[in-house]
Amino acid sequence: MGAACDAVALMPAPPVTVPRATLAADASCRVGYDLAPARGAIEINNLSIIFGQPGKEFLAIDRVSFAIKPGEFICIVGPSGCGKSTILNMVAGFERPTEGSVTLDGVAITKPGADRGMVFQQPSLFPWKTVRANVAYGPRMAGLLDRDAYCLADQYLEMVGLAQFAGNYPKTLSGGMQQRVAIARALVNRPSVLLMDEPFGALDAQTRAMMQETLLRIWADNKTTVIFVTHDIDEAIFPGDRILVMSASPGRVVLDIPVTLRRPRSTDISLDRLFLSIKKRCLEIIRREILSAFERQAQASESNHS
Amino acid sequence: MVAFVPTTRAGLYRSLRIISIPLFFAIWELVSHSGIVNEFLFPPPSVVAEALFEWAVHGHLLLDVGMSISRVVVGYILGATLGVAIGIATARYPALSSLLTPIFQVLRPIPPIALVPIVILWLGLNESGKYFLILWAVFFTVWIATHFGVQRVDPLLIRAAQALGTPEHRMLREMLLPGALPYVFVGLRTSLSVAFYTLVAAELAGAFAGVAYRIDIAHENLRIGLMMAGLVVLGLISAGLDLAFEGWARHVMRWR
Repeated sequence: MGAACDAVALMPAPPVTVPRATLAADASCRVGYDLAPARGAIEINNLSIIFGQPGKEFLAIDRVSFAIKPGEFICIVGPSGCGKSTILNMVAGFERPTEGSVTLDGVAITKPGADRGMVFQQPSLFPWKTVRANVAYGPRMAGLLDRDAYCLADQYLEMVGLAQFAGNYPKTLSGGMQQRVAIARALVNRPSVLLMDEPFGALDAQTRAMMQETLLRIWADNKTTVIFVTHDIDEAIFPGDRILVMSASPGRVVLDIPVTLRRPRSTDISLDRLFLSIKKRCLEIIRREILSAFERQAQASESNHS
Repeated sequence: MVAFVPTTRAGLYRSLRIISIPLFFAIWELVSHSGIVNEFLFPPPSVVAEALFEWAVHGHLLLDVGMSISRVVVGYILGATLGVAIGIATARYPALSSLLTPIFQVLRPIPPIALVPIVILWLGLNESGKYFLILWAVFFTVWIATHFGVQRVDPLLIRAAQALGTPEHRMLREMLLPGALPYVFVGLRTSLSVAFYTLVAAELAGAFAGVAYRIDIAHENLRIGLMMAGLVVLGLISAGLDLAFEGWARHVMRWR
C-alpha cells in the first residue's frame, strides 16, 4: 500500500482548517506504519446528564467517571436506555454534559470534530456521493486537494477490502459493506478516537462475525483508541481490552473489567475458559441490575398507588 | 404486415404504449365523421393537421412557439432561482422564516390568473408582465419545496458530517443542498406545469404572439381546426419539457 501515492508525499500540505499534526503523514498516503500514537486519552469525570424540561427532568447518566488510555479498545455494554450511546455522544461532542467533564488528551470537548471518528448503527453514508467520495470527504474538509483526498480514500477502501466498489453509490452496497465504508471514512481522518455506536447491530449474525474480525485487524494496524458500544456481551468481550457494564435509569458504571485474552483473537475465542468466565461475571451483574431496577419500579408504582 | 402479437405481459404493455396515441387519433377521427357530433365544432385530426401545417407554412408557428417558450423559460428561471434562494434562507434562519412564512402562506393560494388584470395595469401588455406572472406562479411552489427539503435532511447525516470535520460554512453546500435536492426537484417539476397554466392566462390577456394568443385569435375567427392545433402544440411543448426535465433530474440524482 502507498507506492501508488508516493508523489503525494512531496506535495506541501495545504492550509488545514483543523490543525492536526498527523495530517502531513496522512498526505503521504502511508497507511498503518504510524503505530501507537500517544494520543486518544479520554477522561470522563463525574459526568451527569439530565434530559427533559424543568419539572420533568430525567437523570440519564449519574456521576460516571472513567479514564481510557491511548490506543485502548474499550467496550460499553448495557441494556437499552442505560445511556451508553449518550456517553458516546458526549465524547463526539453532539451533546453537552449537565455536570462533570469529558476531556480528550486533556482538552475539554465542546463540539464535534474530525479528531473523533464516529460510526453509527444506521447507515450514514452520504447517498449522493460515491463510496470513494464518501471516504475522501474528511480529508477534503481538512483542506487536502481533491486528488490527495481521493488517493487516501482508495487506500483506506483497500484496507476494508472494498477498493473495487470505489465508484459505486452507497445504495448499491449491502449493509455490511456500507458499514465497512463508514469505518474507512472515519479512520481516514486518523482520529484520536474511533466511536462506534452498535455499528453491527443491524447486520445478520454471519456478517457481524466477519465485521468484528475485520474491525480487530484494522484496529491492530491503526492502534487508535476505540469506544465500542453494544448490548451484546459476546461482541464486547471479543475485541475489547476492557469492558464497562452499565446499569439503566440512572445510567451508572457497575462493572469495569479488563479482558486479558491473548491477541490476535479469532471468533473461536468465545469458547475460551477466560472468555466464558468474563461473560458469566458480566451476565451476573446485568441480571442483578435488571432485577433491582424492576424492584425499584415496583416500589415506585406502589408508592404512586398508595 | 404482421400485427403485434405480444407473447409476454411486458410485451403487451409495450404494444399498448405504442398504439396509445394513434388509437386516440383514430377514435377521434371516427367520432368526428360519425355524425354524433357537429363536425364543424369538433373537426377530425385530419383537419387539425391541415390547420397545423397551414400555421407552420403560412403563419407564425415558429414565432408563436418561440415567444411562448421564452416567456416560460425566463419566468420559470427567475421564479425558481428566487424560490430556491429564499427557501434555503427561511429554512436556515428561523427569524426570517417567522417573518416571511405568514405572508407567503397568504399570497401563495392566490391564483396567478387573478393577478392578470392588475399586472396589466402595473406593467402593461409587454413581456415583463408575463415574466412576472410566471415568476409568481413558480416561486411559491419552489420556495415551499426547498424550505421543507432543507429542513428534512437526515440529522444523522449532519452529525456524520460534523464528526468528519465539516466547517459550519460548508454545511450548506456539502449536506443541506444535496440532501434537499429530491424535494427541490419535485417542486421544480410541479411548478413547470404551473408555469404553462399561467402562460395561457398571460397570453389570453393580451399579447402579439404566442401559442395561447394564437388560440384566442383562431377563436375570434372561428377557425376551430387551428384552435385545436394550438392545443396540440401546447400539449407537445409541455410534455416535451417535462420529459426533458425528468431525464435531467434522473441524471442529477442518479445516486437515488
